[in-house]
Amino acid sequence: MLLSSLLIVPFLGTLALLLWPDRPSPARLRLITIVILVVQLALSVVAALRFDPSLPGLQLQELHRWLPGIGLDYALGIDGLSLPLVLINGALTLVSAVITRDISKRPRLYFAMLLLISGAVNGAFLADNLLLFFLFYELELIPLWLLISVWGGVNRAYAATKFLIFTAVSGMLILGAFLGLALLTGSVDFSLTPVLSDRLAMGGQLWLLAAILIGFGIKIPLVPLHNWLPDAHTQASTPVSVLLAGVLLKLGTYGLLRFGLQLFPEAWAKLAPALAIWAAISVLYGSLAAIAQTDMKRMVAYSSVGHMGYVLLAAAADTPVSLLGAVFQMVSHGLISALLFLLVGIVYRKTGTRDLEVLRGLLNPERGLPLTGSLMIVAVMASAGLPGMAGFISEFLVFRGSISAFPVATLLSMVGSGLTAVYFLLLVNRAFFGRLAITPPSGDPGSDARLDVQLSTVAPRETIPALALAAGIVFIGLVPSSLGNLSEVASTALANLTAGVS
Amino acid sequence: MSDALPLPLQLIWLVPLYGFSGMLLSLPWASGWIKRNGPRPAAYLNLLVTLLGVVHGSLAIQEVVALGPQQLEFGWFQAADLNLRIGFDLSLTNLAALELVTTMSLVTQVFALGYLDKEWSLARFYALVGFFEGAMSGVVLSSNLFMSYFLLEMLTLSTYLLVGFWYAQPLVVTAARDAFLTKRVGDVLLLMGVVAVSAWAGSMEFNDLYAWAATVHEQQLLTPLAATLLGLGLIAGPMGKCAQFPMHLWLDEAMEGPNPASILRNSVVVTCGAIVLLKLMPVVAAVSPVATDVLLAVGTISAIGGGLVAIAQVDLKRAFSYSTTSYLGLVFIAIALQKPGIALLLLFAHGLARALQFMSVGSIIATTNCQDLTELGGLGTRMPATALAFLVGSAGLVGLVPLGGFWCFGLMVDNLAGIAPLFAVVFLITNLLAAANVTRVYRSLFLGAATPKTKRAPEVNWLMALPMVSLSVIVLLVPLIMQRIDPVPGIASFSLPVAAAVIGSGLVGVLLGALTPLDSFWSRSRLPTVRLVQDLLAYDFYTPEIYRRTVVNLVASLARFTRWFDITVIKGAVDGIGRLSLATADGLKLTVSGQLQSYVLTVILAVVLLIGSLQVLRGVG
Repeated sequence: MLLSSLLIVPFLGTLALLLWPDRPSPARLRLITIVILVVQLALSVVAALRFDPSLPGLQLQELHRWLPGIGLDYALGIDGLSLPLVLINGALTLVSAVITRDISKRPRLYFAMLLLISGAVNGAFLADNLLLFFLFYELELIPLWLLISVWGGVNRAYAATKFLIFTAVSGMLILGAFLGLALLTGSVDFSLTPVLSDRLAMGGQLWLLAAILIGFGIKIPLVPLHNWLPDAHTQASTPVSVLLAGVLLKLGTYGLLRFGLQLFPEAWAKLAPALAIWAAISVLYGSLAAIAQTDMKRMVAYSSVGHMGYVLLAAAADTPVSLLGAVFQMVSHGLISALLFLLVGIVYRKTGTRDLEVLRGLLNPERGLPLTGSLMIVAVMASAGLPGMAGFISEFLVFRGSISAFPVATLLSMVGSGLTAVYFLLLVNRAFFGRLAITPPSGDPGSDARLDVQLSTVAPRETIPALALAAGIVFIGLVPSSLGNLSEVASTALANLTAGVS
Repeated sequence: MSDALPLPLQLIWLVPLYGFSGMLLSLPWASGWIKRNGPRPAAYLNLLVTLLGVVHGSLAIQEVVALGPQQLEFGWFQAADLNLRIGFDLSLTNLAALELVTTMSLVTQVFALGYLDKEWSLARFYALVGFFEGAMSGVVLSSNLFMSYFLLEMLTLSTYLLVGFWYAQPLVVTAARDAFLTKRVGDVLLLMGVVAVSAWAGSMEFNDLYAWAATVHEQQLLTPLAATLLGLGLIAGPMGKCAQFPMHLWLDEAMEGPNPASILRNSVVVTCGAIVLLKLMPVVAAVSPVATDVLLAVGTISAIGGGLVAIAQVDLKRAFSYSTTSYLGLVFIAIALQKPGIALLLLFAHGLARALQFMSVGSIIATTNCQDLTELGGLGTRMPATALAFLVGSAGLVGLVPLGGFWCFGLMVDNLAGIAPLFAVVFLITNLLAAANVTRVYRSLFLGAATPKTKRAPEVNWLMALPMVSLSVIVLLVPLIMQRIDPVPGIASFSLPVAAAVIGSGLVGVLLGALTPLDSFWSRSRLPTVRLVQDLLAYDFYTPEIYRRTVVNLVASLARFTRWFDITVIKGAVDGIGRLSLATADGLKLTVSGQLQSYVLTVILAVVLLIGSLQVLRGVG
């Protein structure tokens, strides 16, 4: 029941919010949401404590027959791969609820959708049945679409529609692959364990894997399927960006490992060299595109494209170390990008702009945003892979695990890691160093040099989550065994699975 | 086994933590939580923990002298075949380097108390210095490559933050950026080497790496290309850290940071980089002769080029930062030629004397608020202690009088004369250039008539004078200390002709520096050829410009191209498909007839197509 509670709590919360009698104030709705999310996070932690990291395979399993005719069962389970992601989901949804402010438009719907997403994501990570996974995977789509298209920026309709279409195509491809697998193997059993693709000829495997790769490649996103992400991020509000980058992209990488690597080990081994090159291209493309951005949020969005490429590289290399690195990278990217978006959001709200050509000197201790700036330095350094923070150990594991298998792709990805330092340093240097100045978006050039900027201090509801995220990043960076112990058995088992095949 | 070790050695891991704890202790003041009593308590706390580090280090030295070298290891992270450990190599040389780091940190922190007297963000400075000191103490003690890399990059970060200390000034912004990016290039290349060596050798303990490297060629473990690249990757990190050509630009720009940080950077930070190279050298030498040749070439170019460029600088700090590059070039040559003992001696003598030189420079800047050589003069009678410190520091560097530099040059030239006379000449030329440089700077600063900026220039306050004078005494004692630690048998074991050559090159340099006309009005020549040479040297052989036109331009163009591609091709395609579907939908809506039969036909066609394609797929499968 423990895993089910991770679904029931947020879903009941959604219902409760929607059916709440009379008209509660936004502040009250936010409080209720936070309480529900705290309960959810606490349950995730309980699951983590009950979880025995020394055992391979799924644990705390639950199984209820649902529609055996089409192979859909309500089957949940958790392993070292999904557990960190469930924890991240719990933590980051809570963060995004905490940092939500000034929701004047339909607050009830907003918070209900937040909870719905959190529950659906939990469901997708916990699902032990392909169809069940797919249901949750699709379920998360609608609320996110609403969150962007109702509470987004000026150009939100375009971004939201693009997001919807891309992700719908992703869903179709994934469902097609699952159904194709059933058709080709001739069984309607969609549970994760007995699905064996080795009965298939290589041709069919490759087709299905290709569909899976493109499907999840859209979600991750990998170049050239990434086009929806920068738009979605720039138009989404800060809490939604935090969720999108921190949690929802991980659905893609999780799916890649779980349903690409684990379901089709033979075909995967065959495609691995191409995947490694794809990863390197994605990393370099994302990094180079990020350098050319002047909108801080777009820059962070492109950096996500680059950094998620490491996970594909690690998955392609498919060694115990690299797969552990993939889990690390998912978790650390979740924390770091959430922190980055949170900080960019603060800057945007305080100054009214995210334009790097306009912002200068925000680190000013009296009139600027010194704490935000300091945390920003922490975040960009973590993202650039400076030791002592989560990004370094993740990248190190990925590279160390991949270099023997794919030296060229790994070295190119490391160049991408070097480029991260370039664009994030430009961000800090332009926006936070120098003399404090902000031109208002509609201002004339003459006011460019005005020096009477006085930014108000940032409220604790934003600084405390930011500090907590930064603490998490440093903690994983200094004590990586905390996460490593949770996931090592699972990632090693996954690597051995394919090692046994090839 | 470690239980048997005496307490100072068992707890040696505390030494880096002293520095880091200094940073944490400063945070309440640095972040402005405590404002009432000013930022000084943070400085005092840092001084206290650094003093602890010095005392702990000296206790450890006593134990090691009694017990011999020790190792201490802790597990940090283990997964599959990867084992990352925290390891301390407690040899006498490492501990001596540790003492150098902590002592210099202590002296500098006292000096900074005076130099940054009215600095608003004093606590932030001390927090950063604490971080700096912690990372450096770890680097010199580290017994494995992973930990060395880990801490080297922390050094990169703290250098960035220290250079960017006065982040509101435009020059500082670019300086901090360049410092970080240059070092980062070296670091990423080093990371490539670290990752590769970790995967290939299986262990990252230096001792295991030496054993592995010895077998590489016998057992054909690596292709020649891989071996060369590995060697180059491993030397790239120290090259960046030691400001060697072509990654030397950051050190001179970094002079925009506060002077006490410059003291540390020019003495101990570069020393840390060189020590990492020292530890790596057996691997590099065994794996790749090409990398060794590159080291020699880089060292030579840096030594002579740096020496030349230094002479053409009019900025007080830059004149010496290029000289640092030059001396580290000599260290690189010594390391590449497998003379680790002399390299260590040179690092030691250079570190102390350079720090002293930068302290006297800092005193002058603090007093006159000016660092332009053409605007200074006549300070000798006004600031006698500073002038004396400058003289002692310079004498400690140059091979002329029997201080540290002389013995190092003598030893090195004597060792090289037989095996590589060309490099012996490089040493002598560098000595000459360095002597000429300090002499001409000394004349500009301390001799001649007073200028408007130096008319009222009292000697600095005791917080700066005390560390400066103490360090002067230490620099004077360097030859004795060198004899005590003695990594090479007998520091005076070189022949008389060698000594004569060293003194001769020093004397010629001093003469050159003394005789060059220094009139600030005529310093710019009217002869086009002389101007050309002046510009070439003053602008550092136009290296910044070359960078801008090549690497920076390449990355910027690639970034612009990617953006263009992203907008035009990818976004264009996506939007195009969107428009196409809208247009076809618009067209199709006119074809809707409303007849049931046509709908049924469409459905049947679709089903047939679907099933047909699935059958084909099954046939494939």
